[in-house]
Amino acid sequence: MSVELQHPMNPQKTPDEAARGRFVSGIRSLILNDLAADMKAAYDRRAAPAYERAHGRPPQTSAEAHKALRGDPAFNIYSAMRVQAQKMVWASVADSVEREAGRLNAAAQAAGGKVQLNPALAVPKNVGAIEVHLMPGSYTRGGDSLEAGAVYDRGLAVFSMGLMGANLDDIGLSMSRYIALRYPDFRPQRILDTGTTIGHNTLPWKQTYPEAEVIAIDAAPGGLVYGAARAAMQGQEVTFMQMCADRLDYPDASFDLVWSSMFLHELSKKQRASALAEAWRVLRPGGLMLHMELPPNAEMSAFDGFYLDWDSWYNEEPYYKGYRDEIPLENCVKAGFAAADCFQFVVPSIGIYGEQAIADMVASDAAEAVGQATTGRLAEGVMWFGFGAWKR
Amino acid sequence: MSEVPRPDDTPPGLYDEAGNARFFADPAMDRFVAVVMNMAQEMWVQEERLLALEEARGAAPVDREAKLKAFLDRVFAPIRGA
Repeated sequence: MSVELQHPMNPQKTPDEAARGRFVSGIRSLILNDLAADMKAAYDRRAAPAYERAHGRPPQTSAEAHKALRGDPAFNIYSAMRVQAQKMVWASVADSVEREAGRLNAAAQAAGGKVQLNPALAVPKNVGAIEVHLMPGSYTRGGDSLEAGAVYDRGLAVFSMGLMGANLDDIGLSMSRYIALRYPDFRPQRILDTGTTIGHNTLPWKQTYPEAEVIAIDAAPGGLVYGAARAAMQGQEVTFMQMCADRLDYPDASFDLVWSSMFLHELSKKQRASALAEAWRVLRPGGLMLHMELPPNAEMSAFDGFYLDWDSWYNEEPYYKGYRDEIPLENCVKAGFAAADCFQFVVPSIGIYGEQAIADMVASDAAEAVGQATTGRLAEGVMWFGFGAWKR
Repeated sequence: MSEVPRPDDTPPGLYDEAGNARFFADPAMDRFVAVVMNMAQEMWVQEERLLALEEARGAAPVDREAKLKAFLDRVFAPIRGA
C-alpha cells in the first residue's frame, strides 16, 4: 500500500501521479514478497545444492550465497526488477516535487523552523557523490533548496509500502518508546540525532522527551532545510545543523543521548569508527548512545545475510556489507564504551503491533534475545534492530 | 557522480562499463525488463483513469489496492516460480 504523509508537505498529486506511486508500491510488494520467496525456494532447491556439490559444503557466508545465486533465473528476475522498481520510486515523485516547488517554499517560509547551514563544510563523498539507493542527485540534489528533502520524503512514502508509518517515523517511535519503557529513570535533557536526513525519526524523541533540547545534524543541506520546516509544521521544536557525525562541533560531555537511524551503514569504516568515538566523547556520564541499524551478518543465515547485502552490490550502498560484516558491540568497545555497558535488541514496529507489544517485550526481556528468528528482513513481521551503550 | 566504491569481496562482472548492474547474459534483457515494468505502470495509470471515469458515471467505487494486486499478479504470472 502507498502512504499519505500526514503533514502539509504531503504532495497534492495529480491522478496520474497517484496511480504511478501506487503502482510502484505494489510492484515492490510483489518483488519483496513473492519474487523473494521464489528466489529463496530456488536457493534451497538449486543454488545451494549446486554450490555444495562444487565446494563440498553449503554456502556459509553472505558472499557465498551471492555467488551461489548469481546467474540463477530467480535471482536474475528478482534483481533486475528490484533495481528498476527502485529507480521508479524516485521517478514517481520527481514531477510533483518540481511542480510544487513554489508551494513548498511558501509553506516552509511560513512554518519557520530552526536550521543552521555551514557553507564551508566539505560534504563527504558518501553523501553527495554517490547516488545512494539509486537516488538521482543523492542527498545534495538541489543544493540547499527543499528539493532533496521533498524527493526523499515522498520517495520513502512510496518505497516503504506503509511499513515505516504515516510520517515515516515508525523506527523513531518504536525505539523511543522502548527506551522510555525499558529505562524509566533515564530522562535525557539534551539529545543529538546524527545523520538525520529530514528528521523523520528525530521527532519521536522530542515527543517522548518534550522537555529535552533536540538537535539533528546531517552533512547535506537540503534535507536539513526541508526537515526544519517539516518539524515546525508538526509543532516540534528541533534544531537542524549542518555537521558531520565524525567531526562534531560540540564540547565533551554535552549530550545525554546520541541517536541515529539507518545511518551508520552509509559511512565508510573509518567514518563510522570516528562517529562512534565522537558519540562517546560528547556523551555525559550516564548518557546513552543508541543506533537503529541493519542487523549484523553474524546474527543471520548465509541466505538472509545475502538478502540484505544485495543492496550493497545493486542499490548503491557501497558500505552496507562492510558495516554488516562488523560486530556492533565490538565497535562500541573500540569507541570507548565498557563491554558490560553495551547491548543490542530488537523492537516490534509500534505502528504494526502497537505499544502493548513493546511493553510486553520489555516485561519479558525478550527484546535482547537477538538472533536469526527475529532480525532478518524475512523474519516474521517487522522488527527493528538496534544497539547501544551507556557511558559511565 | 563519481565512481562508486564497491564491497571488498565484490565478484567480477557484476556491472557494465557505465557501472550499471547487469543480471542477464544478454545485457539487452536488463533493459527489456525495465521497459516491461514501465509499460505495466503506464497501463495501470490508464486503468485508474478508466476506473475514475466509470465511478463518475455511477459505478460502485473500486478498491484500488486490491485491483492493483490482481493486476500485478495477472501481468507478472509468467515470471513466478522461476
